Amino acid sequence: MKRKTYIYRRFERFWHWNQALLILFLALTGFEIHSSYKLFGYQNAVTMHNVAAWALLVLIIFAIFWHFVTGEWKQYIPTTKYIKAQIEYYITGIFRGAPHPTNKTVYNKFNPLQRLIYLGLKLFVIPVQVITGFIYLFYVYPDNPAQSFDLSNVAAVHTIGAFALLSFVVAHVYLTTTGETPLSSIKAMVTGWEVIDVDENEERVEHLHKAVEESAAGYYRLDKNGILTDVNDAWLEMYKCKDRSEVIGKHYSETRDEKHLSEMDDIFRRVLNGETLTGVPVVRKCFDGSTGKHILSANPVYEDGEIAGIEGFVLNIDETEALSDHIYYTVRNSAAGYYRLDENGNIIDVNDAWLKLYKYDTKDEIIGKHFSVTRDPAEVDKLKSIVDRVMSGDTISGMIAVRKCKDGSTGKHILSANPITIGNKIVGMEGFILDITGLEEDA
Amino acid sequence: MQTVKESQHRFIKMLFFFIALILPWIAGGIYVHEKSNIAAREQLKLVNYYVDTVKKVDHSKFEILRQKFETPQQVTEACLSCHNKTDHDVMHTAHWKWTRPYVTDEGDTIQLGKKNIINNFCIGISSNEPLCTSCHAGYGWKNEKFDFSISKNIDCIVCHDQTGTYEKFPGKAGLPVDKKMVSNGKTFLPPDYNKIAENVGMPKRQNCGSCHFTGGGGNNVKHGDLELALNNTTRKVDVHMGIDGANMSCVECHKTKEHKISGKLYTVSSGNSDRVSCAQCHTSEPHSNIILNHHTDRIACQTCHIPEYAKVNPTKMYWDWSTAGKRNPDGSLIIKKDSHGHLKYHTKKGSFVYESNVKPEYVWFNGKARHYLTGEKIDTSKVLVLNELQGSYADKTSKIIPVKIHRGKQIYDAENNYLIIPHLFGKDSTAFWKNFDWDKAARTGMASVGLPYSGKYSFISTEMYWPVNHMVSESKESLSCTDCHSRNGRLAGLNDFYMPGRDYDPLLDKTGIIMIILSLIGVAIHAGLRIAKSKN
Repeated sequence: MKRKTYIYRRFERFWHWNQALLILFLALTGFEIHSSYKLFGYQNAVTMHNVAAWALLVLIIFAIFWHFVTGEWKQYIPTTKYIKAQIEYYITGIFRGAPHPTNKTVYNKFNPLQRLIYLGLKLFVIPVQVITGFIYLFYVYPDNPAQSFDLSNVAAVHTIGAFALLSFVVAHVYLTTTGETPLSSIKAMVTGWEVIDVDENEERVEHLHKAVEESAAGYYRLDKNGILTDVNDAWLEMYKCKDRSEVIGKHYSETRDEKHLSEMDDIFRRVLNGETLTGVPVVRKCFDGSTGKHILSANPVYEDGEIAGIEGFVLNIDETEALSDHIYYTVRNSAAGYYRLDENGNIIDVNDAWLKLYKYDTKDEIIGKHFSVTRDPAEVDKLKSIVDRVMSGDTISGMIAVRKCKDGSTGKHILSANPITIGNKIVGMEGFILDITGLEEDA
Repeated sequence: MQTVKESQHRFIKMLFFFIALILPWIAGGIYVHEKSNIAAREQLKLVNYYVDTVKKVDHSKFEILRQKFETPQQVTEACLSCHNKTDHDVMHTAHWKWTRPYVTDEGDTIQLGKKNIINNFCIGISSNEPLCTSCHAGYGWKNEKFDFSISKNIDCIVCHDQTGTYEKFPGKAGLPVDKKMVSNGKTFLPPDYNKIAENVGMPKRQNCGSCHFTGGGGNNVKHGDLELALNNTTRKVDVHMGIDGANMSCVECHKTKEHKISGKLYTVSSGNSDRVSCAQCHTSEPHSNIILNHHTDRIACQTCHIPEYAKVNPTKMYWDWSTAGKRNPDGSLIIKKDSHGHLKYHTKKGSFVYESNVKPEYVWFNGKARHYLTGEKIDTSKVLVLNELQGSYADKTSKIIPVKIHRGKQIYDAENNYLIIPHLFGKDSTAFWKNFDWDKAARTGMASVGLPYSGKYSFISTEMYWPVNHMVSESKESLSCTDCHSRNGRLAGLNDFYMPGRDYDPLLDKTGIIMIILSLIGVAIHAGLRIAKSKN
C-alpha cells in the first residue's frame, strides 16, 4: 500500500541541502587551492574554504544530535539482506520496469545499498575529510610541535576524499531519478512529502504507541504484584498527579480509598487469572485525596506465554452529566475501541474491539471509508463538528455518541478524540470508544 | 483538492525553508567579504620607530676645526681630540677590521671577512689592496703591513660628511686626492676639510652609499638592491627610502651602538647575530590576516615584499673571468656593450651579463653562512659555492629568503685544487690588468697569501649568494598567493617540503579525474538504457 507520507522532516531537509551545497562549495574552492583552476582567487578560495569547513562542522554536529534525538540513526544500520537484490535491480531489473526490491517506508527510508553507502560517508569519508582538513588548517608549518608527519600525506588523503565525494555526488544525483517519477525523490527532499509504501504493522504499532501517549484516555500497566510500572499523561491528569515518578513503583492500593479497594483487588485477581474486563465503572482516589469516577478496561499482559501483569485504559466520566450514578454502575460494554482518521476524515485504522462494536467482520470493510458511514444522517453533523474541533487542535473526552453499525442498527458509546500531529501539522485524529448501549433504557 | 489558502500556506512554508537555507550562505559571504575589506583598510603597524632630528652639536663653533688641514688624518686627530674614546669603538667594528669571528668546520674561531675572503667579483684583496681599500673606513691600507692600531688612520668623514663633497680616490688605499686627479673620466678635487669638519652629522644615505652602492667597481654591480638611484628615489622603488615615502636614512633601520652598525650581509659575514629585522618596527604579526601572519614563521618578509630587485639600474648577474685577456689584433683592449649600453665584455675582466628588474631566487636560511676559505680544496666536478647559506625546511629556525645568485667562472690552481687570488691591480710587471698574463698574476697573488702555486691553472664555475633586503615594494606590489602557490611558481625549486597549490600527486589526480569521468559515463549509459527501454 502506498500513500503520500511526510518522510523528510524540516531539519533533515535543511541539513541535507546545506550539506550538499557546502560539499560542492568546498570542492569548488578546494580544487582551486589545489591549483586545478582559477575562479575566486587563491586567497579568497582559502578563506571561503575555511569558513565553509567550519560551517560544515557545525552542521554535522547538529545533524549528529538530531540523528540521536530522533532515533533516525537506526535508519543507517547496515544490512546484507536484499543487498544482492538491490544491486541486481540497478543492473537489470530497472530496465525491465521491475518493482523496487525493497519498500521505502517511514521506518525504512533507505534501501540496503543506501544504508551501506550513507553509513560509509558518515562514519568514514566525511570524518576523514574533517580530520585531515583540520590537520591541514592547524598544521601551521613545522613550528607546530605536534607535527611529526608529512603534510603531503594528509593532503593526498584529503584529495582522495574529495574525489570520492564528487563521485558519490554524481551517482547520488543520478539515482534520485529512479524513484516513482524522475523528479519525485528530489521533490520529496524539498517538500518533505513523498508517495511511499506504508508498512501496516509498523504503522499500527507506532500509531497505537502514539495514541496511548497522547490520548485523552488514561493508560496504566501493573506488574503481577500490583505495582504500577507505566502510566500516560492522561492518567496522571485524572489522578491529579504532577510527576510520573511519584506513581511508578507504587502499589495500586494507593489509588483507591478503603471503600473501593476490594473492588479493585477483585479486578486485579480476575485479570491475572486470564480474564479481560471491559467497561468497569470504578471510583479512584486521586493523589490530592479527592475521588473521581471512571470506566476502566483491563487485560492481562503476557510475557513468554505467562501472565506478567495487567494493563488497560481508563476514561473519565465525572463530567458526563448525562450518565446518572445508576447508569454508571450498570454500564456494560465491550472492549475499548480504537480508531484513527486521516486529515480528510477517512478511517485509516481501527482495532478489533472497534470492529466488534460496529459489527464489522474485517478491517478491510471499513478502512479508507469516510467517517460519515458510521453515523445516521441525523448524527453525521454532530460527529462532523467533533472532527472539526479536533482537527483544529482540541482534545475531547467523555462525549456520548450514537453509532451506526454495519447492519444499520445503532449503539451508544463514550468517545475520546485527540489530534495527531507531525511537527506542527495536524494530520488526522484518533481516540478510543467505550460502549454504553442500553444504559439509558435501564434508567 | 487544494484550496487557495492551502497553496498559499505551502508557498510561504517553502519560502521560509528557502530563506533558512540561503541565510547562512549570505552570512558567510558577508563575513568573507568583510574580512577581505579589513585587509584593504589595514593600517601600517609600527613599533619602536622614532627619528631623532634635533641636532645636538654645532661643529662650526669649534676652534680646532677651523685650523688649516693638510691631510685627512689631521681631521681625524681633531675629531678624536674631543671624541677621545671613539677611536676605540671604531677600531672594534667590521668597518675598520674588515673581519668578524668565524667558526670553521673544525670548530676553530678565526677572523674572516672582506680582508681575507674570496668573492665572485674581483676575487680577493690580497696583492690588490690599494684599489679594494678605497672603500675602507681608513687611510693607507695599501698592503698587508697596514697597522690597524693607529687611530689617526680612521676615516671619520667618509661616514659623517654632510656636504657631499668628500670622496676617496680609487686605487689610493682609502685616501682622497691632495691635488686634482682624473679616474675613468671622473675628476676628483682635494676636499675642503674645514667646510666638511664644521658640517659633520649623522650618516646619510649618500655616506653609506658611497661604498655600498658601488661595490664591485660600479653602480649596483654587486648587491642589485643597493644603488645610487636610492639617494633620490620614489616609494615605488623602495617604500622606506623613497622621498615620497618614509624617506628614511640607512641608520634608521641599521641601529648603531658604539659605532657598531647592526645588520650585515652574508657574502662576507657568517653568524646569526646583530641582524636587522623588519619585525623590529613592523612586529612579528604585521598582517590582519592570520594565515599571512603564520607565513612569517617560515618566510622572511623580504620574500613577498621584494618581488624584484635592480628596479632602476641593472646589476651584474654573471662574470666569466676565463674569457678575460683577449685583445684586438692591434693590441688594444676589447670592450663590448649590450643593447642597453652595459658591459658585455672587457679585456681586463672577461664576459658579463647585466640584468634589470630581476626576480630573486629563493633559499632556506637560518642566519648562518659557510664560506670558502682561501686554500680550501675544491671539488672541481661541481659548481663551487663561495658562501653557502645554511638552512632547510627541517631546520625550524630557517626561513625562506630572496637572494641574488651571482654566477661566474674563476681561476683555480689545477693541481692544488684551490682557488687562486690573482694579482690584478698594480703598475708592476705581473698585474693582470696591465700584462694580461694569468700565470704571472696567479704567482704574485698566491705568494701574497703564502700558498703554493703549481703553475697550472684552470677555471671553475662559482656562485655567490646575495640576500636581497632592500628595494621593498609597496604592499600592493608584494607577491600574491599564486606567485608561489601554483604549479610553476617562484618556489618551484624549493622542494624539501609540501606546499598547497604547488605540490600534488599526478597519479592521484589522474585517478580521481578518471573516477569521476567513469561515474559520469556509467550514469549516462544507465540513463540511456533506461530511456531506451521505457520507450519500447
